[in-house]
Amino acid sequence: MTREGALLVARFMAMASPCEVLLETRDDAAGERALLAAAQEATRIEHKYSRYRSDSVTNAVQQTSGTDVEVDEETSGLLDFAAQAHDVSGGRFDLTTGALRRCWTFDGRQVTPDVDAIRDALTHVGWSRVQWRRPRLTLPAGMELDFGGIGKEYAVDRVAAIMTAHVAAPCLVNFGGDLFASGPRGDGVPWSIGIEDPGAPTCILTQELALTRGGVATSGDARRFAMVEGRRLGHVLDPRTGWPVTGAPRSVTVVAATCLEAGTLATIALLHGSGAREFLQAQAATFTLLD
Amino acid sequence: MQLSEPTTAAAADTRVARRLRTAAAVLFASLPAIARAADSGTASDAPANQLDFSGLLYGEASRVAVIEPIAKLTHRFANGQSLSGQLGIDGITGASPTGALPSGKVTTVTSASGNVTTSAADQIPTTKFNDIRASFDADYAVPVGTLFKSTLGGHFSREKDYQSTGANAQFALDVLQRLSTITVGGGFNHDTSFPTGGTHAPFTDGTTVLTTDPQGKDVTTWMVGLSRVVTRRLLVGANVSGTNEKGYLTEPYKVLSVVDTDGYPVSTLTEKRPDTRTRKSVLGSAVYHLADDVLYLSYRRYWDDWDIRSHTIDVRYRHELGADTWWEPHVRYYAQSEARFHTWGFAQGAALPQYATSDYRLGKLNTLTLGLMYGFHLLDYPGTFTIRGEYMSQFGETHPEGAVGVQKSYSLMPGLSIGSLTAGYSIGW
Repeated sequence: MTREGALLVARFMAMASPCEVLLETRDDAAGERALLAAAQEATRIEHKYSRYRSDSVTNAVQQTSGTDVEVDEETSGLLDFAAQAHDVSGGRFDLTTGALRRCWTFDGRQVTPDVDAIRDALTHVGWSRVQWRRPRLTLPAGMELDFGGIGKEYAVDRVAAIMTAHVAAPCLVNFGGDLFASGPRGDGVPWSIGIEDPGAPTCILTQELALTRGGVATSGDARRFAMVEGRRLGHVLDPRTGWPVTGAPRSVTVVAATCLEAGTLATIALLHGSGAREFLQAQAATFTLLD
Repeated sequence: MQLSEPTTAAAADTRVARRLRTAAAVLFASLPAIARAADSGTASDAPANQLDFSGLLYGEASRVAVIEPIAKLTHRFANGQSLSGQLGIDGITGASPTGALPSGKVTTVTSASGNVTTSAADQIPTTKFNDIRASFDADYAVPVGTLFKSTLGGHFSREKDYQSTGANAQFALDVLQRLSTITVGGGFNHDTSFPTGGTHAPFTDGTTVLTTDPQGKDVTTWMVGLSRVVTRRLLVGANVSGTNEKGYLTEPYKVLSVVDTDGYPVSTLTEKRPDTRTRKSVLGSAVYHLADDVLYLSYRRYWDDWDIRSHTIDVRYRHELGADTWWEPHVRYYAQSEARFHTWGFAQGAALPQYATSDYRLGKLNTLTLGLMYGFHLLDYPGTFTIRGEYMSQFGETHPEGAVGVQKSYSLMPGLSIGSLTAGYSIGW
């Protein structure tokens, strides 16, 4: 924890991202307590939902292979949210695309997709194959559950809530570019958020966004693509076809009431491919696109 | 600024955004109160019950064998309090040095159980024994608010000729933004020993029985500790502790040899120790978290009013192999000076001191311990398994100053090798 002018700052690594929590307070004692609790909460969520830890909920569900399992309240809440997002996005948003991801490598090289493998993988993909009746979940054998698409955004919202519960001071939570601001800064001005051009080799801020209160999330990564027959295909996989979405913007940044909504809307927008802008406009969303 | 603001797009179908907003609101409203999550690490996500089981096999080369199963059950209550009980059984068989010198000829020694042992000419005389010890410990931890925690404990153990009963209390207070913890504790133990055949008069041949009544010992302990989170990776701690013992501190079965001018033992005398002992120690420790691995370091300085001084250095390194599997090598070095009244034995006709013992544990002693622990999970089985092997090499003063005649040619403190194997299993639910 360091003091940088009016701000008390905690930086740590969690969920494979650099994380930063800024707190505008003069009360070092209360501030450090809050920041410590924030870091603990981020670690807790990471451990609970990581695919890489054998003691995570994700792995516990994975190992049931086809039999039903009762999950805790927090996981139930996330699964309910994911089910709604799947439904409202017409099946685009899906926590079970794991089997599909192994069919593609998005490192910029020329690839020849294995059509049979993709067809095979698709039989292990799709939220509609999952039986979810809160609090009991049955994940068919061979299917994978991955909270990666919402875990970081959810953690941002939770950490922000913990900060607010600890101290009545303006704060900004930023986990690898997914953010939440709890309110305007002390002098009444909004937090200034830079939006990075994902295609640029170094950190170039293409735009600046003023955020008073709410969540911001960005989806898209122009560095991850594959070349198929001379065409450049981005890394966003459509769980309905098994193929990358074409014409998607390089990155989509959405502002919403919570970071979780912002992230989910951004992901669904990307999955609309070339229709991303229209989709976000129709949702009356506050957003920015990099084509 | 090119941000697309939510223009009041007349016929916009905002269904997706609206439903996501509702779903997120429902999710955050359904979660347990934030205040509880903020105190995570106490009650909220720790398992309510924890069972730890371990079995220890311990062997000193050609001396003692110990088998010790231990079971510990901990229950955490919803209010954050926790209660734990531990039951242990030690089965010990083997032989322990009596304190007498090599005889230069055949020696017979009467043991606690009435048996007779025969020792070879240069062999350190030992006495055989076997015993079973059962112990029970209970702890009750009560947090008061978020910064203060008190723990009350009780202890009882019993073996054939020894019984120990005790109670202790410890209080911990988090200070300085909860990054530092001050711990204060104290305890009291009352031990009773019932030497087989009664208590022998000191400095006699062991046939004079002083009393057949049990002999008592009172032990009071205290400690003050401070630990501090220095950075996210480094935790350091220091504590000072003391023990006061009062009562019967002599080992009832230990003896000293009296030798003639050529060094041949002519008789043995029972030992005599002071009836008080004041011990103090200072411990410094550090835990350093690397990216995945953890390094543990500690140094302990000990001294008592029997003039024993010791240093202990302990280093462990936990190396994570992923998937909750780890290796943990362990190195410990211990060096001790001898008690003021520790002696190899007596020359015939020499004046007897006020106190004397030949117990090697009160002599000059060094031990080096090398250990390795392996921790792992079995697929399809809950819980954590551990296997730990330790090798301890003990070496002391083999040729003490003042030894007489033939004793100079013998090693009076032969090196000792001890091996132990511990298997453990922990499960929470």
